[in-house]
Amino acid sequence: MSILANKDTRVVIQGGQAGVNAARRMAEFCYLIKRPLNVEAFVYPPDAGKTNEIPYGSGLIAIPVYKSIAEATKHHPSINTSLVYIGADRAMKGGMEALDDSHIKVVSMITEGVPEKDAKLLGAHARKLGKVFNGPSSIGIISAGACRLGVIGGAFDNLVLSKLYREGSFGVITKSGGLSNEIIWICSQFADGITTAIGIGGDAYPGTDYVSYLEMFENDPQTKAVVIVGEMGGDLEERAAEWYGAKKRRIKLIGVVSGFCQESLPKGMKFGHAGAKEGMKGEGSARSKSDALKKSGAIVPPTFGALGPVIKETYEELLKSGQVKPVVEPATLPRLPKSIEEAMKADEVMVAPLIRTTISDDRGDEPCYDGYPASELINKGYEIPHVIGLLWDKRLISKQEAEIIKRIMMLSADHGPCVSGAYATILAACAGIGLSQAVAAGLIMIGPRFGGAVTDAGRFFKYAVDNKMAVDEFLAYMKKNHGPVPGIGHRVKSLRNPDKRVKELVGYVKSLNIKTPCLDFALEVEKVTAVKKDNLILNVDGTMAAVLVDIGFPVDSLNGFFILSRTIGLIGHWVDQKRQESRLIRLFDYLVNYAAPKRREVPPLK
Amino acid sequence: MAKVLEGPGMGLMKKWGIHVPNYAVVTSADELTKLGQANDWMKTSKLVAKAHEALGSRFKLGLVKVGLDLQGAIAATKEMIGRQVGSITVSQVIVSEMVPHKEEYYCAVKSTREGSEILVANCGGIEVESNWERVKRLCLDVGQQPTSDGLEKLAKEAGFTGALAKKMAEFAGKMFTCFDSEDAQYLEVNPVVTRESDGELVALDAVTLLDGDAKFRHPDWNFAFAAEFGRAYSKDEVEVMAVDSKIKGSVKFIEIPGGDTAMLPAGGGASVYYSDAVVARGGKLANYAEYSGDPPDWAVEVLTEKVCSLPGIKNIIVGGAIANFTDVKKTFGGIINGFRKAKADGKLKGVKIWVRRGGPREREGLDAMRALKEEGFDINVFDRNTPLTDIVDKALQAK
Repeated sequence: MSILANKDTRVVIQGGQAGVNAARRMAEFCYLIKRPLNVEAFVYPPDAGKTNEIPYGSGLIAIPVYKSIAEATKHHPSINTSLVYIGADRAMKGGMEALDDSHIKVVSMITEGVPEKDAKLLGAHARKLGKVFNGPSSIGIISAGACRLGVIGGAFDNLVLSKLYREGSFGVITKSGGLSNEIIWICSQFADGITTAIGIGGDAYPGTDYVSYLEMFENDPQTKAVVIVGEMGGDLEERAAEWYGAKKRRIKLIGVVSGFCQESLPKGMKFGHAGAKEGMKGEGSARSKSDALKKSGAIVPPTFGALGPVIKETYEELLKSGQVKPVVEPATLPRLPKSIEEAMKADEVMVAPLIRTTISDDRGDEPCYDGYPASELINKGYEIPHVIGLLWDKRLISKQEAEIIKRIMMLSADHGPCVSGAYATILAACAGIGLSQAVAAGLIMIGPRFGGAVTDAGRFFKYAVDNKMAVDEFLAYMKKNHGPVPGIGHRVKSLRNPDKRVKELVGYVKSLNIKTPCLDFALEVEKVTAVKKDNLILNVDGTMAAVLVDIGFPVDSLNGFFILSRTIGLIGHWVDQKRQESRLIRLFDYLVNYAAPKRREVPPLK
Repeated sequence: MAKVLEGPGMGLMKKWGIHVPNYAVVTSADELTKLGQANDWMKTSKLVAKAHEALGSRFKLGLVKVGLDLQGAIAATKEMIGRQVGSITVSQVIVSEMVPHKEEYYCAVKSTREGSEILVANCGGIEVESNWERVKRLCLDVGQQPTSDGLEKLAKEAGFTGALAKKMAEFAGKMFTCFDSEDAQYLEVNPVVTRESDGELVALDAVTLLDGDAKFRHPDWNFAFAAEFGRAYSKDEVEVMAVDSKIKGSVKFIEIPGGDTAMLPAGGGASVYYSDAVVARGGKLANYAEYSGDPPDWAVEVLTEKVCSLPGIKNIIVGGAIANFTDVKKTFGGIINGFRKAKADGKLKGVKIWVRRGGPREREGLDAMRALKEEGFDINVFDRNTPLTDIVDKALQAK
């Protein structure tokens, strides 16, 4: 058996993230003792209607979040316990709400820094209703093998080490959260472990004190001895001693008190928990508490360190007298599934990756492009074209190649508002569409007729050069297999009205004294086609394509140069429209050739 | 628990209708000179000047002067401001009017487990301390208000009669209202006196302890809380408090001059057991420290630096129980960084470090501590299998 928390305990947690964290710890315990999760609901108005996902074993359990205790207990009438993880300024209201619900019998408050008056009001209200209010500042309550309320007991490994998966014979009551775990551990190493351990909180006036819990332990036949860990300040330990000494008790009481250091500290200096304050004339001092406990017949070891041996002695007496039986440990215990990360770290699992990358790595303190840290590239004078080289072709390009790319980008960054891409972006901007969507609308226009011929032009020029084709042979091949030559021809430019951009790029590249077989071939093609029709000139797509193939970029990346460059212009157009607060535009009907049938009568539906 | 100096304490009493003498808190003699021109009471009454600091035994230190006229008070203020007492520099003086009176009484309200207690005695000053049995009390449950009948009965029990009993009952009632409304934990007026000019009961001195946790609902608490141990907080203590107020969880630090065993333990409960162990072993504490509630590593690092900076230390006790949710690896990471900084600054020479801890990621945390040995730290690391305070025994035996 156990007290306060048992196999029938069903919990609502009041609060946000701290409550969710506690629920996770509680689920670990439930998993260890092979019982379903004891948390039924959360109350947290900001998240009402949602669910919190709590890991249980290798799965996840969705626990609903409600806006009030009443709603939670209406949907989950088996709830009988509430854990309060609400901030100190709202904790009292939350605690009162839980106490006032007829389903709830135990309220344990974890919140720290609750005003003393609020804590007293909560305690008094609970007593009036015949309920238990535990805390504030309580680390929680745990009954071995049965129920965990809060994070008491610590991490999963500690639950196993402290044998909390099965019942022992020792009850534990502490003010301190950290020491509750320590005593549970000691009881498991020097004796057969615990029945129930309760953190009552380190405040001056805990809602429920040692005496109430001692009374419960006295009535729990499984509990044979109780360890209390006291602190100077208040009179709770004295009251416990008074209770213990008042008549013959079934349970053995073991107690330690901290605060002896006070005697040799400068006057008025106090530390530890809020409740650790001495009254006038030495009441509440560690010595007076310790003496009171001794006088009552409790076992009081001289130091905290001597607790273990004292607990051991007590346990051996209980064994000898037959009051407790030696424990048989279970052969196996559930092991908490590891997360993928933990298992990989321990070399226990191999995962088939979902994607593979060969260009960049973001796992360090900064991104690396093809292995080179971005900051180092900057500091060593590399520029945007080099990053393009690394990410698009996995190589560090030369200064000269970078200059060519920079010029290509500058030449094709924008081409006015009338071209398909810019027009689409402007149309979208005027319709109030956001930046990324409006730019995407412009980018969607890039295709075989607008800006999207770079890759194909590069592919075919390269094919011709690789296969050492003559111009006539190439044109015949194209006509037979593919149609018009990509990169040749312009809507408005012609031999008499040449494209300045092409002239500029060709002039620059030719001045560099590098080998440009593709460009040379493309210019030869132009000579033939332009004679046939004077607008069949090498256009800017074709020029870019030829040059980029000549400096070694893969054919599939070529359209990227236009897309990237033109994105600069598209963003500019969107910002420009936004800045002007442009209004919605639409076509005028005089710009449309209405070639649809004239208005006519709709025939009856057959 | 938060102590409030006399000035703001009297302010709170005045707010709830308790008569207090006229008073002013000044930071210079010039300020008092100007106030003297504007306030008649300063010119017509006898005055008291007291250093307005968290100092004990002010009378002995010459920081209380009575029976002054305005010029005398100005001179006293000039003399007190800037005086150095230990770590405290007097920066404020409270000047109040002396209230001529014959009888002195006592009234207090204190917090109890059930609610509160109103204490009344028909003697005051030092007389009440030697006649504690004359103090009568009225116990109230939390949420319960005293009735005027109940208060009058209390006053009569304490020996007040007639109109004075009624007045004392009213005074005690106002004290309770102040206590209850201001989230006080202790209010004491000693002495309460009858003002000869109008026969009203006046609070001559106020001890005010407020519940610091309730500050969120008292926007008018615009005063700083005072240190409770008769000295001002040191620079390092103030710095740790500033960190504490910013973080989840907590870090605490109090210096104890003259000690040689430095404390850096986890948890409000365990830290006191560690201190007890040091004292029990005949050691001298150099400080109190504590980190708890899974504080961020940088906060623990700041705390560690302060601990390492304590003068004359021989051992540092990095103790702790088995944590529930404080991440041992993370918080130890902060301590390790603090140790490294201290070492780089030339501190920790000849200092032995003793570690004992358990809790989430204890193995990783303890391994990281052990690895400090290779960096030249004199460090001894123990796990949960070594009882809590055994490292203190080892440390103090090692001397």
